[in-house]
Amino acid sequence: MPDLLEFRTVDTHYGDLHMLKSVDYRIAEGEIVCLLGGNASGKSTTMKAVMGSVVPTSGDIRYEGRSLNGVSTAERVRRGIAPVLEARRLFPRMTVYENLEMGAYTRPRGPEFDEDLARVFVLFPRVEERLNQLAGTLSGGEQQMVAIGRALMARPRLLCMDEPSMGLSPAYVEQVFDIIREINRQGVTIFMVEQNANMALEIADRAYVLQTGQVVLSGPAAELRQTELIRHAYLGELTAT
Amino acid sequence: MSSIISTLPRLWTRRLLTRIPVHLRTRCGVSLITAAALLFPLINANDADIDAAANALAFAALALGLNIVVGFAGLLDLGYAAFFAIGAYAYGIASSWQVQPEWSSFWEPFRWLDLVARYHLPTGDVVHFQVSFWLMLPIAAVIAAFFGVLFGAPTLRLKGDYLAIVTLGFGEIVPIVARNTPSITNGAMGLNGVAAPQLFGYDFGVNATPYYYVGVALVAFLILTSLRLKDSRIGRAWMAIREDETAAAAMGVDRIRFKLLAFAIGAAFAGATGTFYVAKLQTATPEMFMFPVSVMVLVMIVFGGIGSVWGVVVGALSLQVLQSWFLEDLSGWLHSLGRLVHIDWLQHVELASSIELIFGLILVFMMLFRREGLMPATRRTAALTLDEQTAQAGRGGFDRLPALAAANPRAAGPLLEISDLTVRFGGLVALRSVELNVPAGTVVAVIGPNGSGKSTLFNAVTGLVAPDRGNILFSGEAIARSRPHAVLERGIARTFQNIRLFPNLTVLENVMIGMHARLDTGAVGALLRLPANRREEATAREQALAILSLFGNRLLPRADHLAASLSYANRRRTEIARALASQPKVLLLDEPTAGMNPAETLELADQIQSLNRHGLTILLIEHKLDVVAMLAEKVVVLDHGEKIAEGSPAAVRRDEEVIRAYLGRSAACA
Amino acid sequence: MSDYGVLLQQVVNGLSLGAMYALLALGFTLVYGILELINFAHFNVFMVSSFVGMWALELLGISGQGRVLTGLALAGALLFAFAVTMLAAGVLGVAIERLSLRPLRGVRGTAAMITTIGVSYILFNVILLTVGAGSQNYPNPLPVVRWQLGEVTLELRELLIWAVALVLMLALHLFVSRTRLGKAMRATAQDAEAARMMGVDVDRVIVAAFFLGSALAGAAALIFGLYYNYTSFIVGYTAGLRAFTAAVLGGIGSIPGAMLGGLLIGLIETLGGQLIAVRWTDVIIFSILVLVLVFVPTGLLGRATPTKS
Repeated sequence: MPDLLEFRTVDTHYGDLHMLKSVDYRIAEGEIVCLLGGNASGKSTTMKAVMGSVVPTSGDIRYEGRSLNGVSTAERVRRGIAPVLEARRLFPRMTVYENLEMGAYTRPRGPEFDEDLARVFVLFPRVEERLNQLAGTLSGGEQQMVAIGRALMARPRLLCMDEPSMGLSPAYVEQVFDIIREINRQGVTIFMVEQNANMALEIADRAYVLQTGQVVLSGPAAELRQTELIRHAYLGELTAT
Repeated sequence: MSSIISTLPRLWTRRLLTRIPVHLRTRCGVSLITAAALLFPLINANDADIDAAANALAFAALALGLNIVVGFAGLLDLGYAAFFAIGAYAYGIASSWQVQPEWSSFWEPFRWLDLVARYHLPTGDVVHFQVSFWLMLPIAAVIAAFFGVLFGAPTLRLKGDYLAIVTLGFGEIVPIVARNTPSITNGAMGLNGVAAPQLFGYDFGVNATPYYYVGVALVAFLILTSLRLKDSRIGRAWMAIREDETAAAAMGVDRIRFKLLAFAIGAAFAGATGTFYVAKLQTATPEMFMFPVSVMVLVMIVFGGIGSVWGVVVGALSLQVLQSWFLEDLSGWLHSLGRLVHIDWLQHVELASSIELIFGLILVFMMLFRREGLMPATRRTAALTLDEQTAQAGRGGFDRLPALAAANPRAAGPLLEISDLTVRFGGLVALRSVELNVPAGTVVAVIGPNGSGKSTLFNAVTGLVAPDRGNILFSGEAIARSRPHAVLERGIARTFQNIRLFPNLTVLENVMIGMHARLDTGAVGALLRLPANRREEATAREQALAILSLFGNRLLPRADHLAASLSYANRRRTEIARALASQPKVLLLDEPTAGMNPAETLELADQIQSLNRHGLTILLIEHKLDVVAMLAEKVVVLDHGEKIAEGSPAAVRRDEEVIRAYLGRSAACA
Repeated sequence: MSDYGVLLQQVVNGLSLGAMYALLALGFTLVYGILELINFAHFNVFMVSSFVGMWALELLGISGQGRVLTGLALAGALLFAFAVTMLAAGVLGVAIERLSLRPLRGVRGTAAMITTIGVSYILFNVILLTVGAGSQNYPNPLPVVRWQLGEVTLELRELLIWAVALVLMLALHLFVSRTRLGKAMRATAQDAEAARMMGVDVDRVIVAAFFLGSALAGAAALIFGLYYNYTSFIVGYTAGLRAFTAAVLGGIGSIPGAMLGGLLIGLIETLGGQLIAVRWTDVIIFSILVLVLVFVPTGLLGRATPTKS
């Protein structure tokens, strides 16, 4: 299976703060890969680096075998990477429909657009019900559905999800994770950042665990679920130096 | 200075300059400037030139005043000319033929004081105001200061650009009111018959020279005032507000008081200048005080260097020289050039009238390419030696601490008592009925996953956020909903998760601001620099350096470096030093070891432990549980705004609820 | 005319003025909505555009109010004048953004606003120095036609203002709600970072906002000239103050707010001038500005402005 996304010894800095320290990730096409870790571990920075809002100070991020060095965010979206942002970040005073449209911003209108819209409606029937409502008036869980739908409207090959369960009630969390499984089954590769390690490991194929910017654990989800080491990493015990 | 010396040709002048010791260079420079200023009218007896120089001095005074509001305190005042107008009209009305109310016995005591005269007119007796210029100078300053507070008060909670617009509004309303009330101000025609100043019987008349010397004295006084204020507790408080208002408040600066003080003093400068200007002109019209004048003073301080006292004087004088002399001369040369090359419009161009265009160009140019101005306010610092640059992470913490508040380590009862604390942001509940006791002399850690409300807890305790419900007791006194600087005064100091230092101030200045609440020097003290004030300032400086030296050679060699130039870890240390400077009883540390490598983490952990051994109570937000285990006697765990566990570090680590909070519920438990 | 009639007439006048202020305020608020920048230069772009409109009409051979056109000729002349003026204004606005504002994009604080003050000064003084301080007689091909409705007199020029204003506001509304770029503008104003993540070219959106905003100012400028039959270097200040207050009153950053604010300020100006005194209208409007900013900063229709991130 060729790698869809690859981080090769990527370092990032924020001023003089060393955020990501020589991290390596490999996400093969069709996988669900989770990025786990406690607070301030570098998870969000990773997502930003994939989307292009953070530029690595060294190392290389490769997508579809080509380097993303110098590639704009808009171009990355066009090439098939779409984000589901942390805390949703829908456009509050635009309707649900308009938000979905914005997801397809880089694509022309046409039959493909209509297909994708229909697909979103199938996945999220409640979204179709609220099509003309202002996105800011929806509940957290509904917003998450719209946010995922918005990303799907870009017809992505790679979906980057930043903490999809944050702020959601347990019922919604289950729904969201079911939908993620279904999207993956339909062919979309998922790279997901999650605080909720337990649930993430139940749907992931593989996972990486970050601690203060370094990868301290990685492997198949099934293995990681058994080990005590994850707990250590989350509770901030110094496992790596 | 040294760069100027190095570019001078090898003459005896260079040798002469380098022979003057460094600390006397400023004095020599000032003496030379003073001598030049005093001798100028004797060298150039041209009355028009002296008058232009006097005008230039008036604008230098205005620039100094605006520099206090904009440069020191960071409040963009676009309506500064209003205070200029108020001072001008105050003197104008008090000493001219403009306002002549009917005589009554009420005015008798004023006549006795020679402030008014009684004039006999065919229609009846009237009052003629003839307040002395010298008396009016300070009175106009006070009146203007009053209006400074009046106009400044509504702007206190506004952010920068809205503040500017509101001040612009007031700045325009004043001259329009002046224009529309001709009975008092003679409207657009201007006050008539403003009396010239008199000194020991000598009437200033229309000769420019005496006004010039008054101008020199005024500017000299205002320069001295500005320099003294800048280098004092007051100036530091202003600059802290300018750099980061919230952090300033958390460090004990009463924002409202100091913002109003800046407005008042800035306005006072303009008020006095207004009196001077109108006395010289012997009239005042509303057109002299409209928006273009406010902009002109702004251009002067931007050009010269916002925040730099000498810089804004240079800026004002150079732009006035440009306007009064250089442009006219340049126009003359262009005329000659035009005649030479037979270009018609060159022969008729009048650059002096395009001064406002030049101001606009200068403003845009400076903003784009040199925002710090010609003579920037910040100084360059010497490079560090190799020794000073490297630092080894040490263990063991601090063995002795400079004067911290004598805390009674094991006093009965908790030092900090939080009960039923609830904070809501709109619909989101950030903290729900949180209860937390911090016994005196202990280290208590607050942990929890992202978004669990830890920083909100700190914000509620320190007054940055008002709780919707609940009580916070400090040594038995309720402090919930107090203003941040009041919380600091009582003895609670904090650091911030994302480090809020004052970036354009030096490390030493940052730490000295921590002492703000423990020092007494007010504006008057800063001005007069009495022995008590000087002693206080020297002691404060010593203490600050002592606190910096706690961190070995990490901070001390960098005491005069700008905080923004420090590494992340050193900025964290400076922030802690700043908090220590306020002699707190309780120290709230928000993720102090974030971003540090393991060695630095352990060093800081040791230091925190030693702080506790010396009597400081510590409340700590921390993610690294090893650090927590090392330091904390008690750990409180928050999740989604609620306390879910409390106990010793070992117990908490094993607690199922805590693990579940961090790692998330599995599907089976959802 | 009865008192009631005078008042009603002032209401009609106020609505005409208000429509013009609304256009000017709209342009201003478009830029603020995206950049949270108070662009002082906007109002002198308005002033410069009024001169461009004047020269455009003179190019057609129209000067003064003597040469009146009707029918197709009138429509053609007006179309030409509006097209030229709006285009020139838009280009000027974009130039200002690229040259003086884009370099300051990341700088915190009021640096960008201060720069717009400088640019405003430059525009103001360039016109003052080249054209002079005198009031310029505006070429006006509109025939003077009046209708009497009860106590109120309605003029053709007022109908023109309302027609142009309505058409432009409708066009703007359709633009931001139906077109791709318009929706990108709205998205950027609401969450620029998220918009970028959708692939929006935020730089282009900003340029578009400046172009559109300035073009609206250009239209307002031409309307001003045709209504008052004059222009001068100072009109940016006088009309600008009112339009600025209108934008703030309606809710700075809100498009419907600018429209509502414009109408209200127009009414306040005419009724205030009638009921109190013309020389106090500036003070009244400044006072409204100060009061709104201090007590209700979000204005009538706006929502809490996020702090600049």
